[in-house]
Formats: sequence, structure tokens, C-alpha cells
Amino acid sequence: MRNRPRNPLPTRARTLALALITSMMFALAVFASAQEGQYRVYVANEFSADITVIDAATAQVIETISISGRPGEVRPRGMAVSPDGTLIYASISDFNPVLETPEDKILVIDVRTNEIINEIRAGGNPERLAISPDGTQVWAALEALAQGAGYDAATGEQLGVFRVGIESEGVAVSPDGRWAYITAEATHTVTVIDTQKLEVVTHVLVGNRPREVDFEKDGSVAYVSAEIGGSVTVIDTTTHQVIDTINLGLDSRPVEMAVDPIRPRLYVAGGGTSSVYVIDTDTREVIATVRERMGRRPWGVAITPDGSLIYTANGLSDSVSVIDAETLEVIDEIQAGRGAHSAAIGVAPQ
Amino acid sequence: MSNKLRTAHNTFLAFACLLLVSWSAAQNSAPVLQMSIGAIAPDRNGTILEEAVDRAVAQGLEMVTDEFGFNAEMLNIDFAVTTEFVATAEEAVNAAERLLSEQEIHVLIGGWGGLEITRALSNWAAANRIPFINAGASADVLRGEACQLTTFHLESSDAMYLDAMAGWYVRSGFRRWFVLRIPGEWGEALHDRLDWALRERHFGARIVREREVSGIEDAAAVADRIRRDNADVVVLLVPAAEQIAWLEALEAEGITTAIAAWPDPESQSRTFMQASREAAPTLGSGQRILAFEATLDRYGAREINARYRQRFGEPMDPPAWAAYQSVKIAYEGMFFSRSSEAEAILSTWTAPNAVFDLWKGIGTSFRPWDHQMRQSMYLVKIREDEPDPFAMGILVGELPAIYLPGTDPIERLDQMGDLEDRSTCTF
Repeated sequence: MRNRPRNPLPTRARTLALALITSMMFALAVFASAQEGQYRVYVANEFSADITVIDAATAQVIETISISGRPGEVRPRGMAVSPDGTLIYASISDFNPVLETPEDKILVIDVRTNEIINEIRAGGNPERLAISPDGTQVWAALEALAQGAGYDAATGEQLGVFRVGIESEGVAVSPDGRWAYITAEATHTVTVIDTQKLEVVTHVLVGNRPREVDFEKDGSVAYVSAEIGGSVTVIDTTTHQVIDTINLGLDSRPVEMAVDPIRPRLYVAGGGTSSVYVIDTDTREVIATVRERMGRRPWGVAITPDGSLIYTANGLSDSVSVIDAETLEVIDEIQAGRGAHSAAIGVAPQ
Repeated sequence: MSNKLRTAHNTFLAFACLLLVSWSAAQNSAPVLQMSIGAIAPDRNGTILEEAVDRAVAQGLEMVTDEFGFNAEMLNIDFAVTTEFVATAEEAVNAAERLLSEQEIHVLIGGWGGLEITRALSNWAAANRIPFINAGASADVLRGEACQLTTFHLESSDAMYLDAMAGWYVRSGFRRWFVLRIPGEWGEALHDRLDWALRERHFGARIVREREVSGIEDAAAVADRIRRDNADVVVLLVPAAEQIAWLEALEAEGITTAIAAWPDPESQSRTFMQASREAAPTLGSGQRILAFEATLDRYGAREINARYRQRFGEPMDPPAWAAYQSVKIAYEGMFFSRSSEAEAILSTWTAPNAVFDLWKGIGTSFRPWDHQMRQSMYLVKIREDEPDPFAMGILVGELPAIYLPGTDPIERLDQMGDLEDRSTCTF
């Protein structure tokens, strides 16, 4: 037993102090449990063939999920999150993109256990994918086949496959679940697919080498990044027509984008300049460029559902940059795996 | 965005909307656009080096016809690529005439088989107001005195290749250059341009000896001279077949000096690499400058290289890449302008905001003063003992570097080649 110093306070004061301290400790515990594990950041590492799992609250890597045990042969790339945030879907392919190999699949990861719980066969070198808002459909770009395909999220049954153009990549499903937009890099188009009728509606000419597509929160427009064109195309989703092009500069080489959930902003990862471009979606003007302390060649970008933190996947520094969405400053850099390709945010269990 | 740029973009959007409406409404009706592309490909029945180029060009054309035919069908465009195989300039012009009269071509592609063929096609295209893409001839004269308003050069120019050579070797510390060149006007022009590059752009290096050679002449004397001049690098400004002969001869003379060689189309193939290292295991396994590289796996190149390799069972040599890109550029000239009229195509290619993707990771464009495509090039090391043709070359350099944030990409690409102040082209 340790010797305690003589307490100079009277009994009533001691009781009061003790009550106050206890209350503070209780509040801290509640706060800590609320913050800890609220979000998890998943980063697909193309060359180390694994997925880094980061606790957003502590900025610590809490796990690395191995995809195949064969880095350099098999690679994870695009990812998507289920509507409730508990499942991460990751597209898996090999490094020799021929028509179809045994590696081509979509893995489903449960964020509660960080374990792979399901596989969906997706031949043709799937690169990116998206989940329907109701969580029932998975849409993937099959890069080697110049196609896009929809799958039943539960059974893995292929719902339909569609010609979308050479080197298909970006995929998004509209917030109302009605449309799937899929980009084709060498065709410079976005193909619009009716997810209910399972048919192609139209093809929209966008910028040069379109990499990714994202819908605005209300679904009124969609954004398409053009890597070689150095721009973001804005498409009116009612008419599926281009209504604007936001120029980021030829050297920007934009890839992934993230729509801010609480602000009128779009964040665009600029791989060519190692920057994140911040676009005011009301004015469609670039209002800031986050460059200082950024990792090298950010391709992936994701934002937490509360709009507080932005994460980028940096392929040439094998890291994740953490950006404060309020100050638009890089506040941290977390080591990920080799060739960090894309980022997704999951809601971890309390 | 500046007002000019926004105006250009809004105009572009208007075309895009028209295109969209046409696609949506005409899925089951007449094609929204007709595209007829004519290609003049080489059929020389010549050396194995020439045959490798000829085969690569044919294969590149076959692949792009298939893939962009896929695009066209999806978009309700009537698309055709017709290829004629020729061996002489006269045959080339006759073939172009047939393509125009029988196929009503909107764009002509060529440039393989030598300067004479390419110049003949360039002149023919100008006379007939047909946009022409030179995908194989590097001669500076085609960008200079012999330039034509309707001719656009995908193939890098002599000046670009020489600047690339100078850039790499000077930075690697090679200061004393020994040049062996073919006789005649072209050889002299190559030498003069290299000399200018070393004096004006890459300080600290100079040509210590220039020797005009016709075939292999007294290799022993040449080797002796190389040693006496204390040359850091020997530059072979001679055709591909002669390069191999010189490599063999110099290695036999015990020369170990680095060898840089002229990247003419016949030297930009795996067949050349194999012949080179067989002839001279050490000197012949050096570094080569290529317009494209089969092992490039960045910038989407992994995918196009893989598709080619799967289809043909061999690496995508630069002539195949060039054939593919030339059809793609022709397609895009019509696709983006929503027209197959010559003026619309030319306007699209020369628009200030025009940008092309050559699978090189940076947007490229045609220089307005000579219609030369700005682009990067690659330095590839031949692996001495590698049996797999695909892995025979290993990428060791890219010029200019693609990732240089803070620098203007156009200025970066213009590090190579003749800028406007040196251009002798008057359209």
C-alpha cells in the first residue's frame, strides 16, 4: 500500500471534489467510446496486395487484410462501402490484364471483423465498383472486356453486362438507385445504364481519359474526372447531358473524387500535382488546392460521413494523407501498403 | 477558368450535346457519323528488321480497327479502316488515290517505308485536302521546308530523338561524343542538329570527332580513333542494319565505350534487340531510345500492352503502337468535331485546348508551328541473356519526366524538338 499524503481539505469539500472528478471521468469515458472506432478508413494497396485498415479516431493502422498472399500478382484497386457502412467491397484482379483470370473477383469485407465474408466472381479485370443505395446491387467496370456489369450483392448473380467502351474504369450509382454511370478511359465516355430495366440509355462524351464518376448528394448532377484532360465534367442526371466542365489544369491528372456530405464541395485527387482540388459545387470553381505536406500521387480520396476528415491514398509514397475538412490542411500522414490506390470509409461498430 | 477557355469549352459542350441527342435518338437508325480511314502500310518483303516493322504496323492497325470498331458500333458510327500495302512512293500515291476514290477516305495514315514514300503521301494529301498522319517518318525536313498544312506528325522528329539522346547521355556524364554518320544530306543534318543540341541545350558536351561512313569501313582504324579521342560515347547515326554491323565490328575490336544509336523505326523492335545482342553481346545490349515500350505499365499502358500481347503473342513494338495511335487520333478528330469534313478534323487537331492520350501519362498535342506531336520518349536497356522477347527490354528512363509538379507540361514536353524560333515550316 502506498502512503498517501495528508489531505488538507475538509470532508465536504473532499466529497464534492470526488463527485466532480468522477463525473468528469465518466464524461471522458463516454466521449472516448463515442469517438473511438466510429469510422474506419480502408485503403487498397495495389502492389502489396492488401488492405490497410485505419482507425479514424486514433489515426492508427489497426489491421492489414491480406488479399492473396501474392503481392505483385494479384491486386486490389477500387472499393465501395455498403449503405450502412458495415461492408467494404473491393475489386480484385491480376497484373496481367487478359480477358479473364481466376483472380478476377469482388471481395466483401465485414468491417466488424475485418474478415472477407464473400466473393463475387467478376471476370475481365474489374477495376472500380459501386453499390446501389439499397445495397442490393454491385456494379463493376470490367476493364479488359470494355464492359460494365451489375451483380446481385447477396447472391453474386450477374444481372447484366453492357458494352461501355475501351478500358472501362469509373463506376457510380445515383442516390435514387436508378442509374449506373460507367466511364471508359480510351473512349472518353460515360455510359448510362438503367439499373431497373437493365439496359443502356446513352453514352455521354466527357473529358479525355475519364477515370472516376461520383454523384452529387441530391443526385442532380454527376461528376466525371478526366485524367488526361485535366478536368471534371458535370453531367445533368435528368437529361444525362454535360452542362459544365471544370478545368483543373493539364498537369492535374485527376482520378478519384469525394462529395462533401455537409458542404457544397467536391474534393478531387490530383495525381499529377500531388494535390487535392477543392471545388465549390455551387459555383463550380476551384476554391482551394491542398498541396502542402501531401503524399505523392494521390489517386484515392474519401471523406468521413460527418464531413470532418478527408483521406487520400497516395500511390508513390505508400501513405494516406489526412486533411482537416474545415481548415483544408494536411494534419497527418499514415503509412499504408505499397501502391496505395483508393480509399473508402466504413462505420465501425461501437 | 478564363473566358476564352470557357467559350471553347461551351462550344465543345454544344457539340457534345448534339452528339448525345443523335446517339439517343438514332440507336436503331442511320449512323450518326461516317468515318473512313485509309492506311498506307509497308510491305517491303525485305530484311528481318524491315519485316518486323511491317508486321508490327499491320498488327497495330488490325487491333485498333477492331477496338475502335467496337466503339463505333456502340456509338452508332459507321467506321472503317482500309489498309493498302506498298513498297514504293509511286505505289503509295496510287494506293492513296484508290482509297480516296473507292473508300472515300476522310483521313490518311502512313509514314512507314521511308522519307520518299512519306513525302509523296504528304504532298498528295495536301493536293487533295485530306488530313494526313505521319506515323513513321522522323525526318526533320517533313516538319520544316516540306511541311504541309494537312500533315500531322505522330512520329517523333529527328530533332526530338537527338535531344532525347543528348539529354540522357550528357546528364549521365558522357561529354566527349564520337559520331559515325551516313553520308549525304540527311546524315549531315543529323550531325548538325546533334551538334547544336550539345552546344545550346546540354552544356558541357561536344562532338570530338565526326566521321562519314558508308557501311563498315576500316573498323580497326575507327576503333583506334575512338580510343585516341578518349570518347565517352560513340553515336551511330546510321540505319538499323548498319548499326548492328558496327556494334559487331567495334566489339570485335575490343571497344567498350558506350554506344548510342539512331532510333529509326527498324531499330525500335524486339527483333532488332535480339539481332543486336547476338551480334555484339556487350555493346549490343546497351540502351535504346524508343517511342513506346512494351513493358511500360503505367498510364494505362499495362492494359494496351497486355491486349496486344494476348492478341498477337508478342510485345507491342513502337511501330505497332504508332499505327494504333494514328487511327485513334483520326477517329478522335472526327468524333470530337462530330464531322468527317477535313476542315473540322484539322480544327479539332489544332484547337488550343486539344489534348490526346497516347498512353504516356501526359496529355499531348500538336505543335502549331510544325504539327509535330509533343510527347515523351523512353530509354530501354537490352537485357543480354533474357530469352523472353517481352522481358528483353527493361525501361530505365523516361524523358521528359512525367511527374514534375510545378512545371508547365507543355514546356516540359517542348524540351525536345525544334521550337518555333528554329522552325523552317511555313504553312
